[in-house]
Amino acid sequence: MASRLISINSFAQTVTKMSCLRSPYRLAASASQRNFCCLAVGIAVLLSGCGPGPKAEFSLRDATGELIPAAQKVVKKTLDEKFGTPQNLVAWQRFPVNYGGVQGSVADVSKDGVTANFESDLPAIHKDAPLLWLSGPRAGAKTSVDSVATFDTTTKQLKWAGSAEPAPAAGDKFVIGYGGNLQTGRVVYMKNCMHCHGVAGDGAGPTAQYLNPLPRDYRLGLFKFTSTLTPEKPTRDDLTRVVQHGIPGTYMPSFRWLGDKETTAVVEYIRWLSMRGEFEKRIDDDLSNDYSAVAMEASAKKANEAYQSAMKTAKKEDRPEKPKTANQLTKAALDEFSKYEKDDLPGVINDTATLLAESWKKGEEADSLIVPTVARVTDNEASRERGKRLYLSDKGKCYTCHGVQGRGDGVATEDFWKKPGSDEYYSHRGLHDTWGRPLQPRNLTLGQYRGGRRPVDVFRRIYAGIKGTPMPGFGRTALKDEEIWDIVNYVMSLQFQSTPTKSIVTDHATASK
Amino acid sequence: MGRFWAVFFVASAVIAVGLCWVAPSHGLWFPGTLKGGFGAGVAHSSIGKRIDDLFYLVLVIVAVTYIGTHAVLGYVLWRGATIKAEEKVLFSHGSHSLEVIWTIVPSGILLYIALYQMDVWAAYRFKEFSPKKAEAVAEVTARQFEWRIRYPARGKTLMPTPQPDDVYTVNELHVPTGRPVSISLKTEDVQHAFFVPELRIKQDAVPGLTIPVWFDVDEPRQYEMVCAELCGWGHYKMKARLIAVSDEDFGAWKDKAALEQFDDGFKKPAE
Repeated sequence: MASRLISINSFAQTVTKMSCLRSPYRLAASASQRNFCCLAVGIAVLLSGCGPGPKAEFSLRDATGELIPAAQKVVKKTLDEKFGTPQNLVAWQRFPVNYGGVQGSVADVSKDGVTANFESDLPAIHKDAPLLWLSGPRAGAKTSVDSVATFDTTTKQLKWAGSAEPAPAAGDKFVIGYGGNLQTGRVVYMKNCMHCHGVAGDGAGPTAQYLNPLPRDYRLGLFKFTSTLTPEKPTRDDLTRVVQHGIPGTYMPSFRWLGDKETTAVVEYIRWLSMRGEFEKRIDDDLSNDYSAVAMEASAKKANEAYQSAMKTAKKEDRPEKPKTANQLTKAALDEFSKYEKDDLPGVINDTATLLAESWKKGEEADSLIVPTVARVTDNEASRERGKRLYLSDKGKCYTCHGVQGRGDGVATEDFWKKPGSDEYYSHRGLHDTWGRPLQPRNLTLGQYRGGRRPVDVFRRIYAGIKGTPMPGFGRTALKDEEIWDIVNYVMSLQFQSTPTKSIVTDHATASK
Repeated sequence: MGRFWAVFFVASAVIAVGLCWVAPSHGLWFPGTLKGGFGAGVAHSSIGKRIDDLFYLVLVIVAVTYIGTHAVLGYVLWRGATIKAEEKVLFSHGSHSLEVIWTIVPSGILLYIALYQMDVWAAYRFKEFSPKKAEAVAEVTARQFEWRIRYPARGKTLMPTPQPDDVYTVNELHVPTGRPVSISLKTEDVQHAFFVPELRIKQDAVPGLTIPVWFDVDEPRQYEMVCAELCGWGHYKMKARLIAVSDEDFGAWKDKAALEQFDDGFKKPAE
């Protein structure tokens, strides 16, 4: 399908209101004015916090803000064009998002309309619902999307508002109410999720600052609790499960009471937000190599320092050349950027979208799903014992993070760790996730299962690890499926062992030999 | 002006009574099944029905008092506003017998209500079913902002601590109908309140306590279950469902839930 952008106009604009009590009024000292002032203050206090709050908007990533202004502008323009704003969403057909709508085809063409066939049971079709042609002469119209004028439920006669020409032919396919899913998803998201996860899915909503662990930032395209292999995206079912069951031990509550339609829609919206965020990130990554204003400033400063110190010692004849200032660098980058924008950027956007769409499509494929090749090994003493030995062995090395007794207090939590891809250390002891936040290995004795308590959930955690965290995947490489099941049996029994049955430390010593 | 107030107070009373009179037929009364689709909602638990009866008793007493006092108030105001200059005025202020009457009559009414309701309270708290005697079906743990529920395995009794074969759900409390059952109510963080409006059951969940709550449900269907104690910014999200099913269906559901919970994801390859 061609890369088409369909603008979805908002019908229910959910603007969030952050009410805050401001008190910009000072009591006047004059006694004669006191009564009036008291009244004014009273009214002001009553009214403060009323009125519409700030308009919801998709904030840009910090990395975008560090680019040179011209590049920032282009990123913003691209995002607005391809994804729209919270009030006016745009469906980019490149991405595997179920934007919603009812598919049908033309059965017969009459003088002033068509008779339609629908794939599913006859849906509710409202006047003014957008009508999008997928094939035939009306398809691919870049101007405006048609809308339903009348629809007769008995004769299935469909008329649309807009030009009659070119007339569709029998067999042409169309969608009514395209984008409905995304719109419903937006409304559900703004009511229930935005509070913590933020308008853009950046995990920085108004309540986020009070929470620990912090809400997920979708913009890395990473989701922790999935049923897919390590590099793959989550499936729709995975996200639905989290929405319905919540995550115990975190602030994510269960949204079981949402209807099926709302749940499906909000999952689709979250996937779309995640794609939008990761698209921005990838474009940023590409641009920040050459067009980061912050990086340029830093390098100019460094070069200048080197120059200054060199000048002090160097002889007159071999004095180094004066380095370029940040302004000069930016100016040069600006000239280069206009060329880059014209020649390379469309290709980069295209490739990024293709890669991203492919990765989300792949996540849904059967090959990406982790299915144990053997049934759960019978959960008995012997299996748990094997599991324990693997847990304490150098093959599993579970104890380094989760602790010898599974209390999440392994030696790794005492160390200082380097930031990925740099020589800098984190300021805090212990493990960190990809979002750069401190992270505790799970205390396995609590019986709290964030990613689900089904044995298959625990199996998948060990098999593929937890995305975005230091928890690695052991499946296919270090451990066989039977061995993973032994560990599952051992780990799931930890909750019920009040005290270690044997001297677990001695066991550890023998196991690691 | 005096006549205006007389009319005002009588009219407001008439409007208030009129609104209460039509409210049940518009579904603006109690939650629960409307009698034949019309009238006040009926509670779906035996104790709920008795609580409703108490409410109606108090309502009748209050209605009689309200109408009576407003009639007198209206009369007095009207009479005062229209009295002629030459008429003799009756002063009742300081009347000993009136003081005695309006002290003794309300006290008698209050005493009657206080004694009458004790039976229902006793029935709910200890007389008919001590909540500990009713079968404990689940442990309900409230937390910001959801309900996490733990059931014993089929055929087993609920233990105070988690067992390996326990069944878990979140925001869905499944209970059997037709017999008294109890839940152990707990909270993980702040105070919450377990409230099922259609059963008229409401109980605070207090940090550090495990509070048994008993009830019975007469009709197998879904009921709304909400938090009735402002527990934080997401209080409004703390909605759940109480799903009442017959005894057989309850057992079948538990089997199904257990099967799903102990799913190992393994699929036998087709031969």
